[in-house]
Amino acid sequence: MASIELERVTFTYPDAERPALSRVSMKAAHGEFVVLCGASGSGKSSLLRLIKRELSPGGRVSGAIRLDGTPIERWPAREAAAAIGFVMQHPDNQLVVDTVEHELAFGMENLGLEPGAMRRRMAEMAGFFGLEPLLDRRTDTLSGGQKQLVNLAAVLMLQPRVLLLDEPTAQLDPLAARELLGMLKRLNEEWAMTIVLSEHRIDDLLPIADRVVRLDGGEVVFDGSPRDYAREAVRRGDPAWRLSLPGVTRWALEREQPAAAPHREPPLSVKEARGWLPATGEISSVPFESAVAVPDVSAPRREADALLSADGVFFAYEKHAPAVLQGLEWQLRAGDWVVLFGGNGSGKSTLLQLLAGLRQPQRGHVRLAGAKFSRISPAERFAAIGYLAQNPVLHYAHDTLREDLRQAARQAGLSDPAAAAERAAAEFGLAALLDRHPHDLSGGEQQLGALAMTLMSRPRALLLDEPTKGLDPLAKLRLAEHLSALHRDGTTLLLATHDVEFAAAYATRCALLFGGVIVADGAPDDFFRDNLFYATSLHRLFRTHGRTAEEAGAR
Amino acid sequence: MREGFGFRSLHPVVLLVYYAGGLTFGMLLFHPLVLLAGLAGAILANVALDRAASLRRWALPMLVGAAFVLIVNPLLSHRGRTVLAYWGDIPITLESVVYGATMAIMLANVLTLCVTYRLVLTEQKFLYLFARLLPKTALVAMMATGLIPRLRRRLGDLALVQRTRGISVTEGGLGHRVRSGARLLHTLLAWSLEDALQTADSMQARGYGTGERSAYSSYRFRARDGLALGVLAATGAALFAGWAGGWGLLAVYPRLEPVSLSGGDGWVALGYFIYIAMPLGWEWRDARAWRASNWNG
Repeated sequence: MASIELERVTFTYPDAERPALSRVSMKAAHGEFVVLCGASGSGKSSLLRLIKRELSPGGRVSGAIRLDGTPIERWPAREAAAAIGFVMQHPDNQLVVDTVEHELAFGMENLGLEPGAMRRRMAEMAGFFGLEPLLDRRTDTLSGGQKQLVNLAAVLMLQPRVLLLDEPTAQLDPLAARELLGMLKRLNEEWAMTIVLSEHRIDDLLPIADRVVRLDGGEVVFDGSPRDYAREAVRRGDPAWRLSLPGVTRWALEREQPAAAPHREPPLSVKEARGWLPATGEISSVPFESAVAVPDVSAPRREADALLSADGVFFAYEKHAPAVLQGLEWQLRAGDWVVLFGGNGSGKSTLLQLLAGLRQPQRGHVRLAGAKFSRISPAERFAAIGYLAQNPVLHYAHDTLREDLRQAARQAGLSDPAAAAERAAAEFGLAALLDRHPHDLSGGEQQLGALAMTLMSRPRALLLDEPTKGLDPLAKLRLAEHLSALHRDGTTLLLATHDVEFAAAYATRCALLFGGVIVADGAPDDFFRDNLFYATSLHRLFRTHGRTAEEAGAR
Repeated sequence: MREGFGFRSLHPVVLLVYYAGGLTFGMLLFHPLVLLAGLAGAILANVALDRAASLRRWALPMLVGAAFVLIVNPLLSHRGRTVLAYWGDIPITLESVVYGATMAIMLANVLTLCVTYRLVLTEQKFLYLFARLLPKTALVAMMATGLIPRLRRRLGDLALVQRTRGISVTEGGLGHRVRSGARLLHTLLAWSLEDALQTADSMQARGYGTGERSAYSSYRFRARDGLALGVLAATGAALFAGWAGGWGLLAVYPRLEPVSLSGGDGWVALGYFIYIAMPLGWEWRDARAWRASNWNG
C-alpha cells in the first residue's frame, strides 16, 4: 500500500506563465526513504508543500495527491494536520513558543489531547531524541542543530504517518546535519517511518536513501535507486548531476573502465570505495579535481608581507565569560586564499569579525599592512577589508537590490552610483533581479548581491563566513568562479567554512582554529593528509591506503 | 524549572494563593507591630529560600523607598491632635509620624514578599497559571517571550554588519544616527515579518486552529499541595475574621491609640507571621529529609 502517491500533478503559481510542476507522478511506499533532489527552483519545495495541505501554496492544481489511498483534501482537518509532518529549512523560524517542553507540547495542545496522553508522548519522544536535559531550556539558547532536532521531535509528537522535510540540513553545519540525518535514518529503520526529504546536498543522503527522485524545471527527470542515480549522473556528464555525488563515488565511477568491472555496484561511502582502490600504491597523491585550476603562484607570494595580522589577540564576549580567542597569532599574506576550519563555537566567526574590524580585541592588536587598526579610520578599514556575514540578509538595508547596490557604490565614493549598480548586477548575473526586494531573493542570489556590495570599494582582503552554506552545487560553482576571478586579480581571501571539499578544490592555505588559537596552518595537501576529520572523503580514502603503500615500500 | 525542593516544589496554584493572600493582608492590616511580624516572616522566608541573596540586592532601593515614605508623610500630612514639633511653621504630628512609619513597614513588607515571588513563581509557573485562565493570551505571551531575545540578537547582528555600510548609531552626527537607527529597525522589521510567515506556517502545519486546544501541564497537585493550601486557607480565614472584627488595625487619626498589641491584635500578628513564614516550614521539612538521607547514605 502506497503511503503517498502523486498522480500527474501539475501546479501553476497564480501569476506564472510556466507551471512550477508539470505532470509529476511519484510514490513513496510505506516505510520508504525518498530523497528529492534538484537545483534551487526546480520545484522541490512546491511539491512538498502541495502534499502538506495546510501549507499548500495558492495556485492552480490538477492531478491527484493521495495519502494511504485517500485524496488528501478528503482527510478531516485534524487528522490531516497530524498525519503529515513537515519540517522546514530554518531552525529558528519554526519555533513557536519559549521553552523546549512547551514547543514539543504545542502540536499536541492544538489537537486537544488529554494531559495524560501528552505526558506519555513527551516521555517517549524526549527519550528517543535524548532531549530530557534540554526540556527546561529556552529555545533561543540552543544551537542550530539542537533547534532542528527539537523541530523534528515537535512534529513527531503528532505521530505522523509521513514525514516531509524541506532542506532540513541546509542551515546546519556538517556535524549537526549528520546527526539529524542519523536520527532520520533511525526513524526510518526502527519505526518504518515514511520519509520524503528534499535537499540539494545529497552526498550524505545517498547511503541511507531507498530512492532518489530528481526534479528539473518542475518535471521528474530521474526516479530510481541511489546507485542507479550515481551511474546515471556520471553517464550524463552534466555538472549539476555530477557534483551532487559524493567525492568517492565520483572518483570510483570516473576511473572505472567499462570492460574492467561492469557488474560492480558504485560505492556510496569511503568504506565501500576501499574495494575500488588499486591493489598496489600506484596513486601516490590524492587525485584532486578542481573545477578551477589552483593558481600556481603560491610559492613566490609566500614571502610577501603580512596583509592582515593578529598579534596576541584575546577576545571574550563578557567579562567573566570564557575567552573565545586566547592570544591568537596569525598572518594573512597578500595573495593568500586561506580557508579556516574549526568546530562549532570555536570562534571562527569571531576571528573573522575581529580581522574585519567589526569587533575590538580586549588584548592584542590587529594590523592592516603593518598599521594598527586603531590608527586607521573605520571607513577606510571597512573599504580595505570586505566582510561577508554568514547570513547575507544582514547586508541589506533597502527595499530593492538596486537601491542597496547604489547605496554601496555611493559609500565607496564611486562617481556614478547608478551605473556602478547596473554594472555590478550584470557582473554577478543579477540584472533581472534589480528591482526585487532583497528578502525575496534566493539564498544564493542574496549572497551574490551582498558580495557585489562588498566589492564596490575594491577591498584588498575579503573575509567570508560560511559562504557555501545552503548553496546547491551549481550555485557553489558560480560563487567559486567569482572568488577565483577576485583571487587572480590579487584580492586576498579568507573563508571560514565547514566545507572541506570546497576548500580542497580552491584554497592555497588551510588553517585550523581550536582552543582560541591556530593549531594547524599549511598548504592544503599537507593539511588534509595529516587530518582524519577535517579531510575530504578522498583524502580519507587514500590516507590509510597511502600509508600501507609507504610501509610496504619501506620494507 | 521544576524545582523539587521545599517551598518552590509546591503547585503553582498554592504559590499564587500564598502571594495573593500575603499581599492582600499586607495591605488590609494596618498596625505597625502586626506588619513588623509579617516583615520578619518575609525576611526569614528570604533567608530560607536563597540566604537572602536577592533581598540584599534589593535592600538599598527598598530602604530608600521606606525612608522616603517615613519622612515625607509627616511633612505633607498635618492631621492628628498631638503636635510633636514645628519645622519652620509646619506642624509635625505624632499621628502622621506613626502613620508614615506604618506605611513604610507595609511597603517594606510587600516588597520583601515580592522578592521571594520572583524567586519562587518563575515565568514558567506564571504562564502555566495564566494558560488555564486565558489560553490564547498565554500563547501570545509565550510566543512573545520567545521572540524578544531573538529580535534583540538579530538587531545586534544587523548593527554589526551594517556598520561596514556606514549605517551606525554610534558614529556620526545626531541626524545620521537617527536615520541609521530608523533604517536598522525598518530592516529588522521587514526581516522578522518574513520569518513570522514561516512561524505561522509551522503553527498551521502542527494543527493550530483545527479546533479546541488543550493545555499541557507539567505540574501535579499532590497531597502536600493540599496540606499547604489547607494551612493557608485556615490561617487566611482566621486573619480575615480578625480583620473583620476590627483587630490588626491601629486607629491613628484623629488621636493615636496605644500602639501595643492589645487582645486580638496579638493573635492577628501571630496569624500573619505564621501565614507569611509558611515557606520556612517547607524548607525545613525538606532539609530534614535531606539530612536524614545523607545520614543513612
